[in-house]
Amino acid sequence: MPPRVDREKCDGCRAEKEPLCEQICPGDLLTLGEDKRAFCRAARDCWDCMSCVKICPKGALETRVPYQLGYHVARLIPMMGTNTITWTLIDLNGKVERFHYINRGSLD
Amino acid sequence: MSGKIIPKIGLFVSDPGGRLSRAIDLETIVQKFSKTKNISGCEILKNFPSGNGLGSIVEGVRAGRFNRFLWIGRFPPEEIKRIESELSAAGINRYLHEWCDLEEQGIGGDGPPLDVQTQKAIILIQMALARTRLLEALEPLKLPGVASVLLIGAGTAGLHTAGSLLDLGKKVYLIEKESGVGGKVASLRRLYPRICDPHCGLELAIQKLEKSDRVELHTLSAVTHIQGGPGNFEVKIEKRPRYVKEGKCNACGECARVCPVTLKDEALPLLRDSFRLPMERGVGYSSPQKAIHPADPMAYPPAFVIDRQFCPPDCRECAKICPTQAVELEQNPAEAVIKVGAVLLTTGWDPYPLSKVEEFGYGLYPGVVSNTEMERIADDPPDLQEVGFIQCAGSRDERHLNYCSSVCCSITLKQVLRLKEKLPGVRCHVFYQDMRTPGFDEELYQQAKSLDQVIFVRGTPSTVKPGEDGKLKIRVEDTFSGTELNLQLDLLVLAGGMIPSEGSRQMAQLSRLPVNGYGFFESHLPCHPEESQRTGIRTGGSCRGPMNIAQSIESSHRAAMDLLPFLNEVIWVEPNYPVLNLTKCDKCKRCMEECPYSSFYFDANGFPALDLGKCRQCGICMGVCPLQAISLRHLTIQQFAAQIRALKPSFIPKEEPVILAFLCQNDAYPAAKSAAEAGFAIPPNVFFLKVPCAGAVNNALVADALAFGLDGILIAGCQDGQCHFIKGNQLVKIRSDDLAEKLQKMVIEPQRVRFENLEIRDSRRYVHLVHSYLEELRRLGPNPFRN
Repeated sequence: MPPRVDREKCDGCRAEKEPLCEQICPGDLLTLGEDKRAFCRAARDCWDCMSCVKICPKGALETRVPYQLGYHVARLIPMMGTNTITWTLIDLNGKVERFHYINRGSLD
Repeated sequence: MSGKIIPKIGLFVSDPGGRLSRAIDLETIVQKFSKTKNISGCEILKNFPSGNGLGSIVEGVRAGRFNRFLWIGRFPPEEIKRIESELSAAGINRYLHEWCDLEEQGIGGDGPPLDVQTQKAIILIQMALARTRLLEALEPLKLPGVASVLLIGAGTAGLHTAGSLLDLGKKVYLIEKESGVGGKVASLRRLYPRICDPHCGLELAIQKLEKSDRVELHTLSAVTHIQGGPGNFEVKIEKRPRYVKEGKCNACGECARVCPVTLKDEALPLLRDSFRLPMERGVGYSSPQKAIHPADPMAYPPAFVIDRQFCPPDCRECAKICPTQAVELEQNPAEAVIKVGAVLLTTGWDPYPLSKVEEFGYGLYPGVVSNTEMERIADDPPDLQEVGFIQCAGSRDERHLNYCSSVCCSITLKQVLRLKEKLPGVRCHVFYQDMRTPGFDEELYQQAKSLDQVIFVRGTPSTVKPGEDGKLKIRVEDTFSGTELNLQLDLLVLAGGMIPSEGSRQMAQLSRLPVNGYGFFESHLPCHPEESQRTGIRTGGSCRGPMNIAQSIESSHRAAMDLLPFLNEVIWVEPNYPVLNLTKCDKCKRCMEECPYSSFYFDANGFPALDLGKCRQCGICMGVCPLQAISLRHLTIQQFAAQIRALKPSFIPKEEPVILAFLCQNDAYPAAKSAAEAGFAIPPNVFFLKVPCAGAVNNALVADALAFGLDGILIAGCQDGQCHFIKGNQLVKIRSDDLAEKLQKMVIEPQRVRFENLEIRDSRRYVHLVHSYLEELRRLGPNPFRN
C-alpha cells in the first residue's frame, strides 16, 4: 500500500528540487506534483518500507498496514528520536501496542 | 564523541556553609558517585575551591588523574573564571568543565523531604555527568579579517561616523550617489535649536576626510552587489561618469564661466518668479548654476561635475578652457570591487511626495511649497504678508503615512522663527493637529508662541484654492472655538513627512535586510536598536525611521560600535558554532531557510556550509535538522540526548507525572532560576535543560524524552517579537504542533508536548505553569511508554 500524503501538512520540503521522501525512497517512487506536494507515482511498486514516513519532518506521510497483516483500520506509526525509534501499532479492534527500541551504534 | 580519550572526571561538590547538606544527603551522593564509571575523584568542598582547595586538584590534573570536571553547586561567575583559568594553566581546556547548579532546579530550602531531594539531586548529577563524558576540548576560532569598513551614504550620519572610524584607525570607504557629500542635511539652510547653518558641522567632518589618507570616497556611485560575510565582504559598485578628473580639477571655476548652459532650478518649477532667490533669477552678485558646476549638495570632493544631458551637441568649451586638462567629456561608467570587513548603511530618507496629498494643491498652485523647499525661502524671503503652515501634511493619516515623522513640528517652528527674524511684519498661521515638540524642542514652541503675529490654529484646512493676485484662499475650522476662518495667503508650506530613501529601498533588496511596514529597516527594538539580521551589516541613521540630526548621528555611531569587532585583522569566534555532519545531510536546505541570519551558503557539492562570521550560535539549525546532522559544538545533540537518557525518575511513583522542560536561556531560564532563588516551591518531578534558544530544540529530542517515559515536555521560549534570534520561538511552536498531531495519531495525548511563552521575570508564572501542567498530566495518567 503506498504512503498517503496529508496535503495540508506536506510543504513539499518548501518545493526544493527533491523533498526528503524522494531522496530516501529506495524505489525512487515519491516525487513532487504540480502543486508542490509529494505523491507516490507508482503505487504498486511501494513495498511499505516506511522510510519516507520516518524521515518526513512534518509528519505528513502515513502508510497503511498491508491487508495480509491487518485491515485498513490497522495502523503502524513510527516516531524517531535521536537514536531511538518508537512504534505504535493499532489493530483492527483499536488495541494499541507500543515498542520502543534504542538503535545500535552511536549518533554519529 | 571524545574519541579514544577515556574520560577521567573530577566531581566536586561545593557546599559553603552547608546549605546543600541541609537539603540533601551529600555523603550518600559522594559515596554513590565515587564508584561510578569514569569518575576518578569525588569530594565535597567546604569552601570555594580557588580559596584553598585547588592545589590538590591541580596536582591531580598533573598526575593524570583528571581530564575533565563536573562542578556541583553554586559558583559565582568570578569563581568560575578563576577555576577555569587556573586549571587551563594545568592543561584543562576551559570547555571541559560542566557546571551543575542544583539549587536552580529547586533543590534546597525547606522543600520536599530529604530523601526525595537527594534522589532528584542524583538524577540531576547523572544528567550532568552524561554530558560531561561527552565534552570536547574547544578553542576559540580565529578568522581572518580586514580593518576596513564600507559606509553607504555620505550624508550627515555617514560623514560623522566615517570621521570617528578614521580616528579609530580603520580604513573607510564611503559611497555616495550624488556628486558631492552632505546628503539631505546639506540642502537645509538652518538647523534647530540654534538656528545655525548645517554646513558648519558637516565641514568639520569633511576636514577629517580631507586630512586622512585612509579614506576612499566614491561619489556618483551605487552598490550593485554584496556578497561574503563579516571580514570578507565583496561589494561591487558602479560609478557614473563625472566627466571631470577628480585628481586634476582644482575648482578654479573657469569652465563654469564659459559654459553656455544655465540650468533652471528643477526643484521649484512652479514657484512664482518673485519667490525665487536672486541667484536663481540670475540677478545680483551670485552666478547661476551652469551645466558644469561644483559638486552637489556640498562641494566635496572639490572637483566639478558636468550634467551631460544639458550639454549642447559638440560643445567643448569647458574642455578647451580648463587650465589643468581635467575635463574628460568621453568618460564611461566604471565598475569597482571593494573588499571590506563590515558594511554600514546610512542611506537616509526622502521627503514624502506631497503631490499625493491632493487636497492641498501641491504641484498645482504656485505658492504651495514643501517644508524642504521652504528652507531656502525662509532664509532669503521675498516680500510676504501672510504665510500658512500645514502640519502633518500626509502624516498620521492612514491614506498616506500612518506615523509621525517626529521632526516636522520643530522644523516648522524653526522656519517661523527664521521668517519672523527676516520679515518681522509677516503673519504666520500654523495649522496643526497636535504640536509635538519632544524634549528641549519645547523651547522653540514657547519662543514662537511669544512672537507677535504667529497664530496657532488647531485644525487642518479643508480647501485650498487659488485666489486673486496669485494668492491662495484657505478655509479652515478652528476646532477650539468652532469658528470657520477664511484666509488669503501668499505662501502655504506643507510639513511633509519622512520616508525611506530610494537608496534604502534598493539596499534592503540587495542585502535582503528585513524592513518594517513603512519600508524602514527593522531591528530588535529596544535592546539592540541597530541590530540587523545580517551579521556584519548594520543600519544607522534615518534609514531606520524618522529622526532628527542628533539622533541620526548617535544611531549610526551606535551601529558602527557593533561593527568594530569585525574591523580587525583577526575576528574571534566562540567555538560554540554549529557543525554539519555531511555524511548524514541530504541537502534538504531547511537549515538554510530557517537560519535567521542567512549564515549558510552552498558549498561546491551543493551541501550547506556555514559562514562562521555571520553565525550567532542560536542553534535554530540544530533544532530544525530532520536528520539531526547539525550540532552546536559545545551543546551537541548527542549531549542533549545523553542527558535525556540519563533522566530516569524511578524514585517518583508512576501516578506522579514527570516533566522535562527545555528553557530558552535568554528569558525562560532566568525566570525558572529566579523562581527557585525566590523560594517558590518547585515540584521535585520537574527537570529542565537550558537551551540557547527555544528554536534549538529538535523534535527528535522531544520524541526521545517521550519514548523514555517522561510524561510531559514543556518548551518555553520568549514572547512573540521578543525572541533574541528573531523567530526561534515561533519556529519551535510550529514544530511542536506538528509533533503533537503525530502523538494524536499514535493515541498519545497531544498535551504531552506543550509550548509556552515566558518573559524574563515570569518566575511566578513559571511556577504556576509547572503546577498546572502537572495537574493536567495527573488527569491524563502516565505516559504509555513509562515503565
